[in-house]
Amino acid sequence: MNLEKVVFGFFVVLAATLNFGFFIGDIDNPDLHNPYELFAAVVVNLIATVLKFGDRTQIGAVHLATSLVADLQLIAASLFYGYAIYVSSAGLTASWTASVVSLSAGALLANVVSVVLLVVETVSFHRG
Amino acid sequence: MTRQQRRARRESVNAAAASEAQASETVFLVLRRMRAPLIVLITIFAVSVLGLTLIPGVDGQGRPFRMGFFDAFYVMSYTATTIGFGEIPYPFTYNQRMWVTISIYLTVIGWAYAIGSLLALLQDRSFRSARALQRFRRTVDRLAEPFVLIAGYGRAGEVLGHALDALGRRFVVLDVDPDRVDAVDLDAFHADVPGLAADAREPGRLAIAGLGHPRCEAVVALTDDEEVNLSVVMTANLLQPDVQVIARATSRAMAERMAAFGSPGVINPFDRFGDHLRLALRSPAAYQLMSWLESGPGAALPERTRPPRQGRWVVCGYGRLGREITADLRAEGLEVTVVEPHPGASEEPDLVVGDGVEPEVLARTRLADAVGFVAGTDNDTTNLSLVAAARRVNGSLFVAARQNRPASAPLFAAMDIDALLVPTEVIAHEVYAQVATPLLWRFLRELQGQDDDWAAGIVDRLLDLCGHRLQALWKVRLTPEEAPALSRWLGSGEARLGDLLRDPETREDPLHAVALLVLRNGEAFLAPDDDFVLSAGDEVLLAGRPSARRALSTVLFVDSALEYVVSGRRVPESWIWRKLSRTPAEEPVSTTRS
Repeated sequence: MNLEKVVFGFFVVLAATLNFGFFIGDIDNPDLHNPYELFAAVVVNLIATVLKFGDRTQIGAVHLATSLVADLQLIAASLFYGYAIYVSSAGLTASWTASVVSLSAGALLANVVSVVLLVVETVSFHRG
Repeated sequence: MTRQQRRARRESVNAAAASEAQASETVFLVLRRMRAPLIVLITIFAVSVLGLTLIPGVDGQGRPFRMGFFDAFYVMSYTATTIGFGEIPYPFTYNQRMWVTISIYLTVIGWAYAIGSLLALLQDRSFRSARALQRFRRTVDRLAEPFVLIAGYGRAGEVLGHALDALGRRFVVLDVDPDRVDAVDLDAFHADVPGLAADAREPGRLAIAGLGHPRCEAVVALTDDEEVNLSVVMTANLLQPDVQVIARATSRAMAERMAAFGSPGVINPFDRFGDHLRLALRSPAAYQLMSWLESGPGAALPERTRPPRQGRWVVCGYGRLGREITADLRAEGLEVTVVEPHPGASEEPDLVVGDGVEPEVLARTRLADAVGFVAGTDNDTTNLSLVAAARRVNGSLFVAARQNRPASAPLFAAMDIDALLVPTEVIAHEVYAQVATPLLWRFLRELQGQDDDWAAGIVDRLLDLCGHRLQALWKVRLTPEEAPALSRWLGSGEARLGDLLRDPETREDPLHAVALLVLRNGEAFLAPDDDFVLSAGDEVLLAGRPSARRALSTVLFVDSALEYVVSGRRVPESWIWRKLSRTPAEEPVSTTRS
């Protein structure tokens, strides 16, 4: 067992699950999307990204790319969320919620790709 | 194995060498090292922000209030960066202040750790060498001119480097010792010389240093370690068979092993010194000319030594040098007495066993009736004291000595040795002659078959033109590309060398240049005179002043300049001027455009 792989796998899967937890629920109902979960998703995603730094294998490069995409989408979602609450006069409306959740859905897709890559890597490692 | 298979394999080897070159990309090194500090920083930020959102506060009216993520992130951002705006949006409760206090210290620790790691990384040895490697690779990749790869930058490498630089040639240096590579940076060269501290035995390092670069024209292996030289020869031959390879070897066995790989130019300084001594015995002027030309541009004319051709020589030290010299002297028909403390099993006709520094041993060599003396041990102090002792016995001796360390140079100079052997310089000069231009190498080889008066004549002509310091040495190829103005004139069959070497301003003055050699279809014409008829495709080796070189290139490229130096007529250069002046009733003899 390789501790590095455990830590890395942990963060990748945790990022995906947190992202999924925030995303699940009616897309325009703000009550179903917990901001704390979004925060946790951003933090875990950032850590997962940093963990991929300096990995020069092909699969490591794709990992880094997917993580960066997820970061971008989640940070965009947080910015939208903050804008809706603090700047916009209407507050967190259904359409704003939908935007935030759809952005997080995009991040989720990237995270799913990450998890798929992780699985592929693990499986091919056992074959080799 | 077919040729194609072999080439495919060679390409894969090159690819392997290239991928090794990428292995130490600095960006990856930075990213890898910064992983831990960045994760610590992110975690500290996350915990602090989360704490702020969770801890209850009160708003202006005393109602319970919880900070949103944005507020919390804002507060932490200015707190962590030690800017500190105050308590926003409402004054904090004690609960919150406690948390913020903890956060301040936590984030400062985080920053300090991250910045500290980054600074440590910048100071790190491997990081710096990785950056140096990357910079070196980039400079070598960008080289657009032909260059020579010098592996081993000791004394010989340094002398060679300066001679090449004076010739306007580029080179790249590879040496194990970082100090010597630093010396390259500090040295004053005309062009930028990339240097790398690395082991030349590694093919990957050689690849980075430019073996495989399309502009690499020669690889020179001059390290002290002959195994390393052999492996450089090997690598160059297996990966780039077309590149010229020159290596230093001091034993015949090593030279044989090197010869197994392609046909590298192997230089054995002791062997070469023996050859030089023979040449000096046979023709002092030829030897003088050779050592002058080999020293490169800017060298002062060496003195003409006249070793005695009759009589008995005494050779002290029967090592690699002693054996070569003894054999060469005997081949010239001279008697030789050898002095050696450990003669081994060799059968020598005239051998004195003992240490030459002891007076009674030296007395047994009957120095009084000898004519020449060689101090050839590998210890400079011994050599100097041998010379002093020999001179005391017989003041009229011709003395040859071997200088091993560069630092001893002033002592040997003060001793006023007749023939001094500095192995590193012999190597440097030989390599220079081979790398500088193939014509010079050819000239030096042909020179050895010539007689003394001929060589003395060339030396005098060079002295007349250049003075006591050798000026420029260059090559001209009489092809339509390199001498476009000449094509028609060369075809006329009356293209005499003397007509070409005239000043294009006033044709009565000859150019300050001597043609040393004309090479035509592999046949060499040594020092052609003014009536020599040139033909298309000839290669000419010239020595002279840089101004003569510029003037000659004008003649080679400008039709009217050629017309003037050949016939004395001033022909208008432009079409309009020709129409206006109506000069050419008949065709000019040498113009290509009519």
